[in-house]
Amino acid sequence: MKIKRTWIINGEKLEAEVPPMRRFLDVLREDLQLKGTKEGCGEGECGACTVIVNGETVLSCLLAAGQVPDGATVTTVEGLEKTLGGKVLQAAYIEKGAAQCGFCIPGMIVSSYALLSRNPTTDAAQIREAHAGNICRCTGYDKIVEAIQSAAEQWPVEAKG
Amino acid sequence: MSTKTPTSFEEMDCAFPSSLAEALDLMADESTRGRPLAGGTDLMVQWESGVVNRPERSISVKGLPELMGISEAGDELVIGSGVTHMQLRSSDLVQKHVPSLAEAATTVGGFQIQTMGTVGGSVANASPAGDLAPSLLITEGRVVVANREREREIPVTEFWQGYRKIDLQPDELIIRFHLPKKSAESREYWRKLGPRRAQAISKVMGSCRGQVLDGQIQSFRVAIGSVAATCVRLTGIEEWLLNRPLNESTLAEVEKRVTEEVQPIDDIRSTADYRRWVTGRMVRGFLENWLEPA
Repeated sequence: MKIKRTWIINGEKLEAEVPPMRRFLDVLREDLQLKGTKEGCGEGECGACTVIVNGETVLSCLLAAGQVPDGATVTTVEGLEKTLGGKVLQAAYIEKGAAQCGFCIPGMIVSSYALLSRNPTTDAAQIREAHAGNICRCTGYDKIVEAIQSAAEQWPVEAKG
Repeated sequence: MSTKTPTSFEEMDCAFPSSLAEALDLMADESTRGRPLAGGTDLMVQWESGVVNRPERSISVKGLPELMGISEAGDELVIGSGVTHMQLRSSDLVQKHVPSLAEAATTVGGFQIQTMGTVGGSVANASPAGDLAPSLLITEGRVVVANREREREIPVTEFWQGYRKIDLQPDELIIRFHLPKKSAESREYWRKLGPRRAQAISKVMGSCRGQVLDGQIQSFRVAIGSVAATCVRLTGIEEWLLNRPLNESTLAEVEKRVTEEVQPIDDIRSTADYRRWVTGRMVRGFLENWLEPA
């Protein structure tokens, strides 16, 4: 059995017909070929599969496709490139050397984008808390935090649209 | 209807009712009934890992309007079962009236788990390590469940009947929680011990609500998780503390009594010995908070 859903994914309207309990991660990666979103642990521990649904970060490996509501706005790492904030974040991650092996980065930067869109803070404690669900085994997090602080300082560009 | 156990998410069926009435109608009939699914942060993991067999059908109760919202009703807070951890921690009402619950919600997983997981789901999952349980227990509140015909109220202290066993009939859903507010003079505290602040399941955690007046303990409730098959109130300790002076001799004695009262087990997250010791320290630490101004 399949269910029908209409979603706005990275700004584009998509009419999907999917098994209701198929993991949203598999819909993104396999059905839509959006392979930027990664599967790390597959059990909600690592945050590599983080995407934004209606403004909130969620773990796409624990999300049944049918539970993504009709009309939902979804942003994956691919969608960030289309936004000014996403470009600022990408440049800041590169400049600060925030990525090493890179596997966690799609989820990490999606969490950064969700945080700064809501609250462009440079407060390290707030930044760390908002990324506590994204595990990185390379960098020790300091450079990631620096990159997000740097992006936050430049964030008004996004607010202006 | 086939009766085979699905082996993949794709083989599973799920219904998406748009109202509570519709959901309860589905639950009422054995042919349409399914495993209630809220945020999925426990069930999706259990199904994927095989710890729990995949049901043929689920009923998604996520976001049902009747299960959302946090409001006041006299001396109580009313919290819908569909309220997420993120909504709990962000709620002024919860922060003010059951502050340990708001604090507990901040320690569940990370932001992603907090935006997905719900209070009803956490309670239904009935893990002894469920982080919201201690704060619910110390309110001495009620769980409201319903089937198509009627609502039923159960004291929170009786809802968890054993390891992962709850007082819920096959046709019922958890609807909301009625939690008596703390009084203005009382305080609540929350503490969680795990290997990491976020994304870690507790070794031991707990909450307390109490009142101390002129150095004397007027009331004290304490509940501890991960030390028994369910989260437990330490009623023997609570009774012993009543009307005692809050001083070093009381603190030393209570720490010793707690280590004798709890009966934790060894498991993958910790050992019985450590848990017993740390629970004593935790309860002592709770009481020490009253030696400082609020």
